[in-house]
Amino acid sequence: MWDFFGALRRHGVPASRIVAEAYAIGIRSLPILLVISGFVGTNLALQGYNAFKPLGGQRLVGMFVALAGVRELAPTIAAAMVAAKAGTEMASQIAVMRLREQIDALEVMAVNPLAWLVAPRLFAILLVMPALTIIAIFTMTSSAYAVAVFQLGLNGQTFLAFAADGVEQIDFFYGVVKALLFGVIICTVSCWYGFRAGKGPEGVGQATNGAVVTAAVVCVCLNYFVSELLYGGSLP
Amino acid sequence: MSEGPLIRLVDVSKRFGDLVVLDGVSLDIPAGETTAIIGPSGTGKSVLLKHIVGLLDPDAGEVRCFDVDMARASEAERYAVRRRFGMLFQHGALFDSLSVGENVAFPLEHHTSMTATQRRQRVDEVLAMVELPDTFDRPTTALSGGQRKRVGLARAIVMEPEVVLFDEPNSGLDPLTSDAIDALIRNMKRKLGITFVIISHDIVGTVAVADHIAMLYGGKCIAQGPTAEFVRSEHPMVRRFLQRNLALPDGTGGVAGLPGLG
Repeated sequence: MWDFFGALRRHGVPASRIVAEAYAIGIRSLPILLVISGFVGTNLALQGYNAFKPLGGQRLVGMFVALAGVRELAPTIAAAMVAAKAGTEMASQIAVMRLREQIDALEVMAVNPLAWLVAPRLFAILLVMPALTIIAIFTMTSSAYAVAVFQLGLNGQTFLAFAADGVEQIDFFYGVVKALLFGVIICTVSCWYGFRAGKGPEGVGQATNGAVVTAAVVCVCLNYFVSELLYGGSLP
Repeated sequence: MSEGPLIRLVDVSKRFGDLVVLDGVSLDIPAGETTAIIGPSGTGKSVLLKHIVGLLDPDAGEVRCFDVDMARASEAERYAVRRRFGMLFQHGALFDSLSVGENVAFPLEHHTSMTATQRRQRVDEVLAMVELPDTFDRPTTALSGGQRKRVGLARAIVMEPEVVLFDEPNSGLDPLTSDAIDALIRNMKRKLGITFVIISHDIVGTVAVADHIAMLYGGKCIAQGPTAEFVRSEHPMVRRFLQRNLALPDGTGGVAGLPGLG
């Protein structure tokens, strides 16, 4: 880790590379994020309706969607999608560079591979993850609203009022905190697998697979502990 | 001609797990001359080269470049030494996302304060030296194997290094392209007059360009010396290697007619 910060201090990171990486990560992850978060929103509305209807509390669907979506599902789904798209690309690109001696070439040209390959991706993902999380929140809530109002026949204004009651501004801030944390995990895990890739196409495949599985599992598990820390209860 | 070894390896050993790759290799590489390190595949030639530039550290022994102990040097010291090296990798190691010109300009962007125009001039100059003029904007994916090596060589010399390392410059090339690369290396040597270290198992091309030859076998340096002496070596493995590669009659040890020695 100190190597990484030392390399950053000595070599710096060109802004143009951060912007290019941010554009690539954001654009590549956005379509799949819209689809997945949209359909998670529809199911949240359906299952919220089924859960609250026997109790006569259909109006709480909006609150349920907002709470689950903003606090838990949007950051987690954004992380999973970025890990699946951008994370796998990071791992495979770096693994192929290693295979083709391009990382050795960087070293021989006295260019630190951490500063050149990891730092722009890390800064880019830190820029993009909060934006993708906010997009996931609004997509999820919008699709849940559509199902609640047009399919289940709930009142739209009631849905929105309860949704607004369910979350506070601080929840969006916490969502961004989670997004930043997950971004660091996805980038470091993916790059680590890329740098540690074995020889040949099999090594590239294993690195890619290991990156997405590890990043997704770590983000989902860590999400529980972060929620516990942010939203109450206490660990035994 | 030389003031002392520019690069010195003393009793260098390296193993990967149970596999001993280098076993007490000692070698001096003089300044301003071309040293070839030859040997069959899998004898640790590329591993030796990676020790020289500090990509690998020895388990035992010492690698000194420009009087710096590479294994014990700080990152900054290693990078300072590496800026004095250029290296042609076995398959070029070009960055696929960059054009030919951007690849060659890469070290200039990182280590000089040249303007874009100055960089372009310098890149065009070295691309002309490797006989690939007007290829600045060409994607590297459109290059043949021989062209990739030429671009790799252009990138290796663009910073005017004091030492250029060649890792198997002829591997994977057809005989004609291989001859063209050998001619290019000879041409570079004449023009630049700097230290070349060539890793190869192609003895014909090596004899044509090298001032000194060292042979690795079984992780050890079994013979080394000036080229004319080396090809007369009586070491049985050297004889076998030379006979196989040069088709010399058994036991003659003759060098007349060899490229560069006739």
